[in-house]
Amino acid sequence: MIKQFIIVIVTLVVAPIIGGLLFGIDRKITARLQGRYGPPIIQPFYDFFKLLGKEHIAVSKLQFVWIYGYLVFMIVSLLFLFMKSDFLLLVFLLGFAGVSLVLGGFSTKSPYAHFGANRELLQILAYEPVLLLVAIGIYAQNGSFLISEIFKQDKPLLFSLWPLFLAVLYVLTIKMRKSPFDIATSHHGHQEIVKGVTTEYSGPYFALFHLAEWYEIVLLLGIIALFWANPLWVGILIALAAFILELLIDNIAARMTASWMVRLSWSVGLILGIANIAYIYYSKGVS
Amino acid sequence: MMAIAILLPVAAGFLILAVRNYYARAAVVVLTALILIANSVFFALQGPFTYTPGGFNWGLLITFLDFAILIFYIYIGFSLRNWLVLIFALTQLIPLAYFEFVMKAHIEVTPAFVIDHLALVMTLVISIIGSLICIYAIRYMYDHEHHLHLEKSKQSRFLFWLVLFLGAMNGLVFANNLVWLYFFWEVTTLCCYQLISHDKTEIAIKNAARALWMNATGGTAFICAIIYLYITQGGAAALSMQNIIGGTLQGSLILLPVALLCYTGCTKAAQMPFQTWLLGAMVAPTPVSALLHSSTMVKAGVYLVLRLAPAFAGTYLSTTIAMVGAFTFFATSALAISQTTGKRVLAYSTIANLGLIIACAGINTPLAIAAAILLIIFHAISKGLLFLCAGTIEHQIWSREIEDMEGLAEKAPLTTLITAIGILSMFLPPFGMLLGKWIALEAAYMVPLAAVFFVLASTLTIVFWTKWLGRLLQVLPKLRWPMEKLSSSYAVPLWTLLIGIFVVGVGIGPIYQNFLLAATNNVVSGNQIISLGLNNLVLTSSSILQTEILGVFPVWPLYLILLVALLLPLLLIGLKPTELRQVYMCGEQVGGTDTDEWLAEADKKTKFVLGGYYFQDTLGEKRVYPWANTVAILLLAIMIGCGVIVI
Repeated sequence: MIKQFIIVIVTLVVAPIIGGLLFGIDRKITARLQGRYGPPIIQPFYDFFKLLGKEHIAVSKLQFVWIYGYLVFMIVSLLFLFMKSDFLLLVFLLGFAGVSLVLGGFSTKSPYAHFGANRELLQILAYEPVLLLVAIGIYAQNGSFLISEIFKQDKPLLFSLWPLFLAVLYVLTIKMRKSPFDIATSHHGHQEIVKGVTTEYSGPYFALFHLAEWYEIVLLLGIIALFWANPLWVGILIALAAFILELLIDNIAARMTASWMVRLSWSVGLILGIANIAYIYYSKGVS
Repeated sequence: MMAIAILLPVAAGFLILAVRNYYARAAVVVLTALILIANSVFFALQGPFTYTPGGFNWGLLITFLDFAILIFYIYIGFSLRNWLVLIFALTQLIPLAYFEFVMKAHIEVTPAFVIDHLALVMTLVISIIGSLICIYAIRYMYDHEHHLHLEKSKQSRFLFWLVLFLGAMNGLVFANNLVWLYFFWEVTTLCCYQLISHDKTEIAIKNAARALWMNATGGTAFICAIIYLYITQGGAAALSMQNIIGGTLQGSLILLPVALLCYTGCTKAAQMPFQTWLLGAMVAPTPVSALLHSSTMVKAGVYLVLRLAPAFAGTYLSTTIAMVGAFTFFATSALAISQTTGKRVLAYSTIANLGLIIACAGINTPLAIAAAILLIIFHAISKGLLFLCAGTIEHQIWSREIEDMEGLAEKAPLTTLITAIGILSMFLPPFGMLLGKWIALEAAYMVPLAAVFFVLASTLTIVFWTKWLGRLLQVLPKLRWPMEKLSSSYAVPLWTLLIGIFVVGVGIGPIYQNFLLAATNNVVSGNQIISLGLNNLVLTSSSILQTEILGVFPVWPLYLILLVALLLPLLLIGLKPTELRQVYMCGEQVGGTDTDEWLAEADKKTKFVLGGYYFQDTLGEKRVYPWANTVAILLLAIMIGCGVIVI
């Protein structure tokens, strides 16, 4: 009981600090790659507290409701990861978070928010099946959706699930809203979509969006770390390497269209996943 | 009690036909609804039993009515010049006549009715949700006719078929005698025809005829299965459902009739390639759709497949049925994205979920069967609610198009709230449908290809629901919107179903342990009621195999989190008038926050218009139907082939 309480506290408090720092590192590295000096690593926290102090302005009450949904379900998904609970349910809860963000964009009569929301929905269409296939892959390998079961295995998942791992790296790019998939919104302003799905958020509520993003990045890197759960530090190193890789990709890739993203995900991503699962079934001798 | 469940709706129906006064008719419907609900609850409390009606030659009456219905089909075929209806009426009539007159078959089966836990679950769904829809229909049909400016009211006729439907469905789930089951099956097809064609427009009649002939192919397969069973197994004992699923018949020979019956189930459950009849049924007044989709008709199809599950357990037939369902789940979820009409989205979603349920029956492990039963219940509640919402919206904006529902949250906040919860309950945790899907995915381990289809389909599901809900929520910066008033005939069913989602959802653990577990076991074990005799019924239901379904699904905490995440902000966030701003339009907007105009070229004031995505080029019916129907027909052919090859 006390252990679970500690996990909850750690999730609530420590995860966003790590997430914020990761975003700080992101900005620093990106700046260096572009030949700039870049802001200090704790700049995201300065931004966050500054946003909190800004004036409340609103274009619709509903979008605020959904941003809370986005934040809360993101935290719950992360709790599921840290409590080593069911991976499949985690993916569904993450889906709720994604849907909340989309609905937040739809809850205004703003053309830019609608662009962003529609594209965010396409992003869900692109990454959700891959994550669900990872769940199926984990089940095929371990006979359980439980994350705790992954930690009991001596052999890392990466050996048997490396095609799915590649697909997850792809999902990470989509979820981090990095090029070539900074389609729904972006950390840099883009002319034709302004700020996409987050255009109409400002002040404290925009801070909430950032907070949710911090939780999200920890969650995503945590999922990547699961591929080498024993010993976990290897997994964490892999996750950090993946993070750095995303930053490189972000800086060398141009933005692509949403339909290209969906097509790529539903062809390459799904084929990798399905072939992977089929091979596990074949090698285990299940019909 | 049996008489109340089956015959009361018939009697009430005739009474409704006789009563011409709106309020008197409403009173009869409400009273019938209340008695049916009370009766089904009483059934559930009393537990399983078997029953054979005596004192009257019921078998003769049923045979007579069978012929009457089929002859009526032939009449329809002639009068509409619809040869498909005529052909498939004849393919039922001729074998039936052969069976009755040439073979002079004895069709007395004891017991005639077996009411086990599965039947009890079904009768609760039918009686409670079906009755609520009948109550809703009272006011709906009044508004409907008012809007159409009809000279002569046909409300009585409509309510007659609606109430009769419930009786037929109750009979269908209770019947043990296949011939009687066939009779109730045909009555539901007839009711369906009458209700779809109710408005008597050209399109309504055309679509009703399509529903009729497609279901008549199912009826043909049904009667063929009956005759085949009777001949190969020697006599009336083979016509007992209990014997078919109980394994007392000669094993390998029953696979063909079972495959035929599954085909029948697929036609009624509108599985691909039969989806068009259910989509055509959307032209009918909305209570019909609500009834067809939630508690009756299509649920009869999945009920039959689920009931037969032990008879095909462990065979290739089972795997094929899983694939038939899983493929329909996938293909119709994709099609739903391209639909611009709210009711058609609902229809595709129904077909998809029925596919999922049939796939669960095909996967055929205790876990999968439990998932199927949960999905039947939760789908009935949520989809019943959503159709009633669609009807309510239609009577507020007089349109069924999703684009016309844009910004409904401003015009009808209450309806939008209920619809939004209904939509969320279809595809997100912690709601029951998602719980069912979660269990189904776990069970799908046995049939990996089905699992892949489940994954793709549930992703597509997210897209079409979110897209639709998003259109409803689009609002201008305003502080409060005036609440609309709902007639109590609308409000009572809506609120009851809404509360039902949460009560059944939150309480699913205890409900499953105390009630649904027994139903799961009834299905899985092929139901040993007859061999054990009535007195041992209690014993059978306590020695059932325990299926742990909830696992690590934290039902209570997740509902609590939902409350914190969405309801609290909805209630607590207050906006001040000074906080309102216009949306960002590059500084080109006109005036205050209550306008959605901007300065277009030459500073001309123009209203800006937003629209949803429908992807008709990639996912439209024209693109998807050719290949999807081909695959579906192949799968059905393989399914029946699986029955033949064993011989």
